[in-house]
Amino acid sequence: MSNISIIVGREFNERVRKKSFIITTILMPVLLIALMAAPALIMHFTRGETKSIAVIDESGLVAPALESGAEAEFETTELSLDEARRELTDHFGVLWIGPDVLTNPGNVKLYANASSSMALEENIRNQIERVLEAEKLKGYQIEDLDRILAEVHTEVTMQTFRNDESQEEDAQAQSSAVSAFVGFALGMVLYMFLVIYGAMVMQSVIEEKNNRVLEVIVSSVRPFDLMMGKILGVACVAVVQILLWVVLVVGIGGLVMPHLMPADVLASAQAVQSGALDASTAAAAAGIDPDMLQALATATDLGYVVMLVVWLLLFLIGGYLLYSAMFAAVGSSVDNVQDAQQLQTPITIPIILGFLVAMSVMNDPNSQIAFWFSIIPFTSPVVMMARIPCGIPMWEILLSLVLLYASFVVMVWLAAKIYRVGIFMYGKKPTFRELAKWMRYKS
Amino acid sequence: MEDILKVEHVSKRFAEHTALDDVSLSIPRGSVYGLLGPNGAGKTTLIRIINRITAPDTGRVLFDGHELRPEDVRRIGYLPEERGLYKKMKVGEQALFFARLKGLTRHDATQRLREWFRKFGIESWWGKRVDELSKGMAQKVQFIVTVLHEPELLIFDEPFSGFDPINANLLKEEILALRDRGATVIFSTHNMSSVEEVCDHITLINKSHNILSGRVDDIRHSHGTNLFEVSYRGEESALRAAAAGRCELLDGTETQSIYRTIRLHVASDAEVRGVIAALNEAVEVRSFTEVIPSMNDIFIRAVNGSL
Repeated sequence: MSNISIIVGREFNERVRKKSFIITTILMPVLLIALMAAPALIMHFTRGETKSIAVIDESGLVAPALESGAEAEFETTELSLDEARRELTDHFGVLWIGPDVLTNPGNVKLYANASSSMALEENIRNQIERVLEAEKLKGYQIEDLDRILAEVHTEVTMQTFRNDESQEEDAQAQSSAVSAFVGFALGMVLYMFLVIYGAMVMQSVIEEKNNRVLEVIVSSVRPFDLMMGKILGVACVAVVQILLWVVLVVGIGGLVMPHLMPADVLASAQAVQSGALDASTAAAAAGIDPDMLQALATATDLGYVVMLVVWLLLFLIGGYLLYSAMFAAVGSSVDNVQDAQQLQTPITIPIILGFLVAMSVMNDPNSQIAFWFSIIPFTSPVVMMARIPCGIPMWEILLSLVLLYASFVVMVWLAAKIYRVGIFMYGKKPTFRELAKWMRYKS
Repeated sequence: MEDILKVEHVSKRFAEHTALDDVSLSIPRGSVYGLLGPNGAGKTTLIRIINRITAPDTGRVLFDGHELRPEDVRRIGYLPEERGLYKKMKVGEQALFFARLKGLTRHDATQRLREWFRKFGIESWWGKRVDELSKGMAQKVQFIVTVLHEPELLIFDEPFSGFDPINANLLKEEILALRDRGATVIFSTHNMSSVEEVCDHITLINKSHNILSGRVDDIRHSHGTNLFEVSYRGEESALRAAAAGRCELLDGTETQSIYRTIRLHVASDAEVRGVIAALNEAVEVRSFTEVIPSMNDIFIRAVNGSL
């Protein structure tokens, strides 16, 4: 055991001190937060100056109803189209509306002096549509039309509740959209870790084999100790990285969020969390979209986040151990990374398959396919992690974990056999049949 | 002399070929034991079996009187032919890592490492990465790592390859010093001159068989062919006359010096004294020496099957 701990220590220290580890560990959360803040920032920066647009309205219907706003300022001109296009170069452009625009809505033209933007064009189009629709409605001669329309206008918001025993009557509302997104993100994290850290173990084994370091180490410790030490050492690195990410994201998020969000929104999010208010009432009070508020309430719920992190770590470690044992076996049996490609394929296929299923989980977390793929060990880490945020029965999670760890034990036992033979085989690339034969060797 | 290691009827087969076929040898404690043989003879396989890296198909290895056990590898130091160090790791940390795997505490290992680094004049390498070192420099580090835990049995696979003569000599002296302090050294090589200088016992392995074993002196003498070389001053005709009937004269060599040399073949050891006496009457004999075959000659003859 002490030999394993010495090897674990070396693997861990060497990797954690690498520049690449430090950089990715710091950069990822920053990127993640930047990604979350991006929409707000983009909106902020693209709000350019007001564009002045000269309007030539041959129909006489539209121009009076055009509303100038922050984006565009409309002014009617008496010039002819040619003159306007020639002379009004200080304007952003000239908007020409045909005389028959009511019957021929395609007869609208914008002559711009600079490149126009989608947002601006949409603004103009919407305004003209509104004017023309109102004009057409007038033809039906309905009294009090505006009032009727205002009364008829309805917006539906739906709240989803989870119906399991642990939840009381005032069950906290869950946003399915948020759950699906979080699930997908977690499945993605799992997928990345399995591939990246598994490959790391494999490369490290190949490197030791090429350096002939193996020969020196194996003359001191059992090959099994060396393999387990390496797998566990890299596992420690993975766990440390993920915990650092959680701390950084929560920390930075916790610092930045209150500044981005108005205080009353946060207060109502907390109210929704504690069940004091339901989302639509709170949203109405704070004057924001109820879905947004629901999402915010879920994301800032500490208990929920801690639960996810715990499951994430359990599935991450289990999945990693299972896959890294296989990667170690492949690494031991080849001389260089190129040769590993073919032997790696059967390992990477289940990971990718799991990832694809995880994407479908976003639509229906309780489908047959989602259930089975989250129970079968090879795909279970990725798929189960995608399902957990949507709320699934505890027994499914536990069954999946037990199977995962059991298959890890079996896999390590098999991998150690391949490893033992493989590390001293140089020269030719083994076939799958040979690998199977190595498993039956007794040492 | 008591044997520290006994290899008994060890065989090892791989899929396509037999690496070792019924090989037996005994290594006396405190000796420097040469394990010789051409490339691919099975030396490395034998060493790996002794190190418990691989297991023999049949036969057994006795260490210090008992069958080799896993914990015995801590009493063995192994310097593989292809040196194995982590390239990206710092020299000091790396040496510490290997020392701790051999069961030294961090404190002891650090102390001993400092001592060795001082002895080799390489203290300044402690914080360097291995890939900043030259091949010879890395080998010095590897040597230190091998002997640091003061094992009773040391196994060196081609220890001098890649060293300049000065450092090779330094290494040779350290190896002999280790032997003087009680360690047993197994020396695997195909460089025969180093064998004559340092080894007192050898085993010659060829095509997975042990074809020759014993003390170096005994082997060389037993392979002597009763060939002698005389260096003398005087007339060649007088020498020939005296030698007639007693021994067979071979070609002489013409030299610029006043001494001439000539080789002769004596039928048996018993006649040597008589030959010397007769020659000394006829000419002024300066030296009379047996021409002992070098290990190199024996090696080549043995491998070519003339033994």
